[in-house]
Amino acid sequence: MRRIVPMHAATLFVPALLLAAPVCRAQETPREIVDRVDRMLRGNSSRGDMVMEIATEHWTRSLEMRVWSLGTAYALVRVVAPPKEAGTATLKVNDEVWNYLPRVDRTIKVPPSLMMGSWMGSHFTNDDLVKESRMIDDYDIAIGFEGDREGVAVWEFVLTPKPAAAVVWGKVVEQVRKADLMPTWGRYYDERGNLERTMAFSDFRTFGSRLVPSVMTVRPADKPDERTTIRYRQLEFDVPLTPDFFSLRSLQERRAP
Amino acid sequence: MIQGVWWRIAWRNLWRNRRRTLITASALAVGFFGAVLMVALDDGIAAEMVDNGTGVLTGQVQLHAREWRKERSLYATIGGDSGTDVAALLARVRAVSGVAAAAPRVWAGGLLSAGDRTEGVVLMGADFALERGVSRIFESFIAGGAPRERSKELAIGAELARKLAVRTGDVVVVVAPAADGSMGNDLFRISGIYRTGLQDLDGAFAAMPIATLQSLLALGPGRVHEVAVGLADPWAAAAAARATVASLGAAGHRDLEVAPWTVFSPQMNEYVALIKASNGLVVAIVFLFAIFGVANTSLMGTYERRREFAVVRALGVGPGGIARTVVYESVALGLLGLAAGAVITAPVMVWWHHTPLNLAWLFGDLEVAGALVRPVLRIEYGADGPILGAVGLLVTAVLAALYPAVRAARVPPADALAGR
Repeated sequence: MRRIVPMHAATLFVPALLLAAPVCRAQETPREIVDRVDRMLRGNSSRGDMVMEIATEHWTRSLEMRVWSLGTAYALVRVVAPPKEAGTATLKVNDEVWNYLPRVDRTIKVPPSLMMGSWMGSHFTNDDLVKESRMIDDYDIAIGFEGDREGVAVWEFVLTPKPAAAVVWGKVVEQVRKADLMPTWGRYYDERGNLERTMAFSDFRTFGSRLVPSVMTVRPADKPDERTTIRYRQLEFDVPLTPDFFSLRSLQERRAP
Repeated sequence: MIQGVWWRIAWRNLWRNRRRTLITASALAVGFFGAVLMVALDDGIAAEMVDNGTGVLTGQVQLHAREWRKERSLYATIGGDSGTDVAALLARVRAVSGVAAAAPRVWAGGLLSAGDRTEGVVLMGADFALERGVSRIFESFIAGGAPRERSKELAIGAELARKLAVRTGDVVVVVAPAADGSMGNDLFRISGIYRTGLQDLDGAFAAMPIATLQSLLALGPGRVHEVAVGLADPWAAAAAARATVASLGAAGHRDLEVAPWTVFSPQMNEYVALIKASNGLVVAIVFLFAIFGVANTSLMGTYERRREFAVVRALGVGPGGIARTVVYESVALGLLGLAAGAVITAPVMVWWHHTPLNLAWLFGDLEVAGALVRPVLRIEYGADGPILGAVGLLVTAVLAALYPAVRAARVPPADALAGR
C-alpha cells in the first residue's frame, strides 16, 4: 500500500504557478509553509518532457513522456518513447484515472480497487496521481526539526494523518530547505511506524523563472535496490490550457500537441 | 483352561434370561450402528469437501518453484528464468503411481475491461485438454465453452460477466504487467462463461490458453508457474507428493516444491482434522447413553443372583472370581451386540454409500472453507468408524459391568443364604 503525498505528486506532474518569493515570512505556521511549498511547485498549468527510469530486480526500462497539467484537477501523461510504448497515456481528472492503450486502441478506467496498483510499471501508484494537494487537508503538520543539517538551514515536517482522513500512510516526514523552500527528501511510514518508501529530490534547476527539483527518485524500503527516477528535461509554466484539453479524446491522440 | 471355564459359565449365564440379553445386546448393536453411521457421515462431509475443494481447480498436488507460494511472483517459474521442459516434466509426474493427470499452468494478475467497466482479475493460462483430468471448473460452462488452443479467447465466471456486462462472443481488453516490465495488453473474445458457485472463481478469475498468456506476459513457452496434479484418491495426496518428490529428485529437479492439498489448502486440512477429531466425541456420546442401560440390566442380574453368588462363594470361590464372572458376562454380551451391530450396519452402509441422500431440493450448494459442498449426505467407508464403534462398545460393556461386579463380589455368603 503505497501512496505518494500530494506535494510530491504535484512536484511530479504539476510544477507550480504561484511563484512565491522564497523567503520565510514571519509567524507562518507549519501548515502555511507546507502549503506554500506545495503551491510553489505546482502551477496553474504546465507542460514538460520527462524521462522515467524504472529499475527492478528483474528489469530496467526507461520511458520518455510528455506531461500536461492544469491546477490540481487535471493531468495528462503520454509516453513518446520507446516506440513499443509510444502513445500509451494516462489521464487524470479529479479522482479518476484512465489509461489509453494504443496497441488495442482502448481506454481503460482504473477501478477504485486498483488505485493502489503500480502506475505504468513504476514504483508510483495510480493513487499518487490522484491524491494531489490534499496533504494540508488530510494531515496534521508539525515541525520535527528546525536548524542546520550539513550546513543547510532546513525544516523537518512531521505529518500525521487526521483521525478521519482516508490515507494509507501512518506518518510522513519530509525535509525542506529554508532558503528556497526546496524539498530534499520525504520518508513514508505505515500505520505501525515501519518505513515504506523514501523519496529524494535533487538537481534543482530553474525552468522559466521557477526553481524546481528536476530529479526525484522513489525507493521502496523493502527492496532498496529498486527505484523509479523521474528527470525533467524541459518544463514550461503557465501555458495556455483549458479543461477541455484533458478529455478522453486527447488521451487517445497519438501525436503530442 | 480355567479361563475357558469362566468364559463358558458367563456365556451360559447370558442365556438364562434370553429376552433380557437380546434386548441389551440390541441396545449395544444399535449404539454401534449409530456410531459407525455418524462417523461415516462425517467422513462423507469431509470427503465431499475435499473432492470439491481440490477437484474444482487446485488439483490434489501442486508443483511450484520453491519461492512461488510465498509471493506468487510472476518470475517464480519452475526452473527459474530459463524455464523447464514442460512436456518432460509432465510425463515424469504422470508416471508417478496414483497420479491420474497433470496440467501446466501460468498465473498472473491483470485487468479485464469492457466498455467503461474494468475489474481486477486473476488470469490463468491453461491447457484445457489436460485440465480435464485435474479440474472441473471448465466443465461448468453455462454459455459457450473453453477457449481454443492458442486462440485469443477467454473463459470467465458468471459473476465477472455480470460485472463487466459481457456475454459470449463479446470482446474485452486484458491488461497484465509483463515479465519485461511492459504492460501486456490485447483484445480477447469471450468463448465461454462458467459458474462454479465459488465466489472467487465466478467473480474475479479468467482463463485463457497457456501459450496466449505466456506471450501476453512475455514469458517463454518453457515457463510455467504450476503443475497441478489430479489423483485417483484425494486422501493419498501426501504419499503421492512424496513419490513425486522422489521421482523428480532422481531427474534432477531439486528446486521444486511439491505440495499436497493438505499443505496448500491448510484451511481445508484443518477443517478435515476438526471433523475427524469430532468423531471420537460422537462415539463417546452415543455410548454414554448405552452405558447406563447396560449397567442397569447387569445390576438387576446380580441382585437376582445373590443366592447363587453366595453358594458359589460358599463353595470356595473368592470375591474376585465372582466379579470376573459378571465382567465376562458383560463382555460376552458386548461381543454379541457387536456381531449383531455389524450385521445390521453393513448392508445399510453399502446401500447408503451407493445411493447418497440428495438434499438438493432442500438446500442450495454451500461454500465451506473455500470449497463447494453439495447438499448430499453421502457416507464414506473407512476403518475409523467400525474401530471406534467396536472399541466404544466393548469399553461400554466393561465399564457398565464394573459397579455390578463389585456389588456381586461383596455379597456376604451367610447372610444371602439365610435370606437376609
